[in-house]
Amino acid sequence: MIATKYEVVVGLEVHAQIKTESKMFCSCSTDYLAAPPNANTCPVCLGLPGSLPVINRKAVEATIRTALALHCEIPEFSKFDRKNYFYPDLPKGYQISQYDLPFSRNGYLEFEVKGEPGRCGITRVHLEEDTGKLLHAGAIEEAQSSLINLNRAGVPLMEIVSEPDLRTADEAREYVMRLRAILQYIGVNDGNMESGQLRCDANVSLRPVGAKEFGTKVEVKNMNSFRAIHRAIEYEIVRQTEVLDGGGRLKQETRGWNDARGLTVSQRSKEFAEDYRYFPEPDLPPLEVSRAWVEKIRSALPELPAARRDRLVSQFGLSAYDASVLTSSKPLAEFFEETVRLGAPAKTAANWILGDFSRFLNAEHKEIQDSGIRPQHLQQLVGLVDSGAISGKMAKQTFEEMYHAADPGPALEAAKRTQQISGDTELEGIVEQVIAQNEKSVADFKAGKQQALMFLIGQAMKLSRGRANPERLTALFREKIT
Amino acid sequence: MPENEPELSSDEVRHVARLARLGITPEEVTRFRDQLRNILHAIEALNRADTSQVPATAHPLEQRNVMRDDVSAPSLTVEAALRNAPSVEDGYFKVKAIQE
Amino acid sequence: MNLFARSIRELHQMLADHEISSVELTESVLGQIDAVGRQTHAYLAVTRDLALRQARDADDRIREGARVRPLTGIPIAIKDVLCIEDVPTTAGSKILDGFLPPYNATVVERLAKEGAVFLGKTNCDEFAMGSSNENSGYRPVHNPWDLDRVPGGSSGGSAAAVASGEAIAAVGSDTGGSIRQPAALTGTVGMKPTYGRVSRYGLIAFASSLDQVGPITRDVADCAILLQAIAGADPRDSTSSLHPVPDYLDGLDAGVHGMRIGVPKEYFVNGMEPAVEKAVRNALEVYQRLGAAIEEVSLPHSDVALPAYYIIAPAEASSNLARYDGARYGAQAGGGHNLIEEYGLTRQQGFGAEVKRRIMLGTYALSSGYYDAFYLKAQKVRTLIIEDFKRAFEKVDALLGATSPTVAFPLGAKTQDPVAMYLNDIITIPANLGNVCGISVPCGLANGLPIGLQIIAPGFREEVALRVARAFEAATDFNRARSPLMGTAA
Repeated sequence: MIATKYEVVVGLEVHAQIKTESKMFCSCSTDYLAAPPNANTCPVCLGLPGSLPVINRKAVEATIRTALALHCEIPEFSKFDRKNYFYPDLPKGYQISQYDLPFSRNGYLEFEVKGEPGRCGITRVHLEEDTGKLLHAGAIEEAQSSLINLNRAGVPLMEIVSEPDLRTADEAREYVMRLRAILQYIGVNDGNMESGQLRCDANVSLRPVGAKEFGTKVEVKNMNSFRAIHRAIEYEIVRQTEVLDGGGRLKQETRGWNDARGLTVSQRSKEFAEDYRYFPEPDLPPLEVSRAWVEKIRSALPELPAARRDRLVSQFGLSAYDASVLTSSKPLAEFFEETVRLGAPAKTAANWILGDFSRFLNAEHKEIQDSGIRPQHLQQLVGLVDSGAISGKMAKQTFEEMYHAADPGPALEAAKRTQQISGDTELEGIVEQVIAQNEKSVADFKAGKQQALMFLIGQAMKLSRGRANPERLTALFREKIT
Repeated sequence: MPENEPELSSDEVRHVARLARLGITPEEVTRFRDQLRNILHAIEALNRADTSQVPATAHPLEQRNVMRDDVSAPSLTVEAALRNAPSVEDGYFKVKAIQE
Repeated sequence: MNLFARSIRELHQMLADHEISSVELTESVLGQIDAVGRQTHAYLAVTRDLALRQARDADDRIREGARVRPLTGIPIAIKDVLCIEDVPTTAGSKILDGFLPPYNATVVERLAKEGAVFLGKTNCDEFAMGSSNENSGYRPVHNPWDLDRVPGGSSGGSAAAVASGEAIAAVGSDTGGSIRQPAALTGTVGMKPTYGRVSRYGLIAFASSLDQVGPITRDVADCAILLQAIAGADPRDSTSSLHPVPDYLDGLDAGVHGMRIGVPKEYFVNGMEPAVEKAVRNALEVYQRLGAAIEEVSLPHSDVALPAYYIIAPAEASSNLARYDGARYGAQAGGGHNLIEEYGLTRQQGFGAEVKRRIMLGTYALSSGYYDAFYLKAQKVRTLIIEDFKRAFEKVDALLGATSPTVAFPLGAKTQDPVAMYLNDIITIPANLGNVCGISVPCGLANGLPIGLQIIAPGFREEVALRVARAFEAATDFNRARSPLMGTAA
């Protein structure tokens, strides 16, 4: 817990690539992760002399779609501008971006932290092109060099800027998680932070509680996961608090999060302030965003996370919390609904997904779509338990096998073949054998110790290699021990 | 157009050259400063025009919403993309490192 | 008459009639390049092998009996700001020394499709910045009319080549007068189409909202033919217009009877040479005789066109030229300790003085605190100039004036004073800012040096400019004059 004499002010800038086939201003493929260096380039994205950009309509529509999902205003007129600066990953020496007339502004994102609702304003969502990637090479002894791969240069990129409304690291993390879910839901971005498809920078400052002016803003970069965002912001809050408490002044600077060392490091400030000299992009006529066009995009919006969550509560009777977690990612929500559609009871399906399944996935930092288990597998497993064919414990074992196998099929098939023993004859035999072999426990049970019954049931399950129906066993034990 | 502004200074010339990544010798700073001052004087005439009632023309043509379909097409070969580069390594463009 | 001295139309007929072959014609022009090239320096690169290959292909097409397109087999020169795949393209700059584009400009593709023959890349002012071709990073061009004088710029090489017989026709680019002014100084016909009429894809950018590619030819009909081949929308250039392209030869000889021609009083500028003014006034009389109604008009903001241009063009150029850092193409300085130093050295060594001046001026005009006062103000002045032309064209069909206030001046005469050099474009610049088209045609000689008459027509009405120009050409014989390097005219 941090002393509360300062108010924490956090704003987030999220860059999200748009899942288009081709780049923002040329027809090169956006599938840059798989391609050899510089294999997805052309005169336009290489910035060759004489090349000219042409706007990708789908990227514009994706931006408007995102803006609508974030409750933004969409002005009738928009344009692109040049942001001029020099960097080796920026082939033209300028980035085509948006400055004073972005596609959207003034929206908001709602979230919940520990059950408490919150809302963060969204200043703007605009569209620009991504830069290339730099690798640093060279031995320490000789002059270092950089290697440039321009496959990523020109990929469409949305910049989503929040108002400085966030007050804790928890809120910041929650904001990014919700935003990511929305972007997945509307199909513009898969939410992959590790690959750089979704990137987040934070602006963190402190001010005395009650103060109106903002404190010195520190930009924090290089946070590649939700956890990193949380840890980095918490670290910065502590660091800034210590500086201010010690009577020091904070430098307005950019700091990089070092995940391995768990701290932010000042990035060497530039010799001089960059002046981007924005001016309207002369190679691209401006855009008139008609209301009809916006309506067409709005009407094609899929169900958004908040609406889906509410529907899961009302349609399936799930708790708000469970619905919330299930809808936190589109693949998770879809897995759940498909499992239910195939016949599994909603609450059971939810329990499996939020319980064992999530546990295994989280341990490996995987997502549900990474697993070989498909909704039909889960639905069938649940069916086996419900019909009494296998016990719950057996089901858990089976699920674990299914999860770790390359193909869940065989384990599921094996479970299907295993019949639970419910027939009394076989069960009676087992019960009598256990009674005979465990006199002390039988005595304890007679004396009133309920745990002894549990022990006996356990022994019977062992004997039956897990195939006995526990309810039947319980009844039989009670009958025979009197 | 700034009126009654002091003359363009050498510092400003150096600053502008830095923004534009143009190496510049001290002699060039002075020479360009003087030449640019003359040019800026000539440009001052812009102030004669009353532009209070007109919008800026950033795009001479009237067309709007010029866009293309999201279809990918073959890129240049890596060889063609790198052909003009003075220095390459393993398919990458190679440059000196930034040391700020 | 030598083949290299003839017009596109004449040669097209001779080819179609099988009187000559394209190879023969191409060899004739290549021969003239050999003969006088070291005097004019019109070319930076002569593409002999490519030209002859294309000539042979043209001859095959003609032989097959297919209807011969007007430019098939015709050898033309291409200004070195246009990319031809695998052909050295420098934009007249050292910083692009050795650059081989991996693609063709749209204009080049269209001309190749028409069967034209490419003689080579013509010399020009570096990145098209200049009015005398003395800013070429390689060497200046010499005017075929007087080798001690400039041919004008920035398309000086293209204009000189047409005037000297080193090309039948040429393609240039015009941002502030860079086709019209050298055409005037070399006694050729040069047209700046309306912005957006011709694709800029593959044109090495100088000022994105002003640059246009256009023809330089020996007569107006040739100009129409060349314009026809290159005009039209291009999906790769978002600033190219969807305005339909008419048949420019249709109605070319309709004459000017009944047309209204306006003479902007502001175009008789201070510093205009008396001979130039006299030639223009004589031209007005010719038009009157031909039945046009001449009236004086006013384009009141003409005096702020030059200042506005010298903010807008350098500002856009400063951004367009940021890509020249030596990392992916062009000349790299080497020797820098780190990348920033490397950029600085590469650009310091690779760019000439005029380019550096304009980059600095443009950077300054866009920089923090100055944007409103400079760039925004200039763009508003641009609106005023556009409106000046609109108002004038409500009253008249075309405007007339001199192209350049002077005839060709001696090499070195204006290189010390940038502002003096800028004044060469004072009458051509308004048309670039004004969304209109303009053409220059020869209208006389002063001491053996050509004078150009400028005709301006409304945006996307190139056919009007051509028709008005053609009427003058047909009624006079100024266009028959030939530079000394051409040899004797037939």
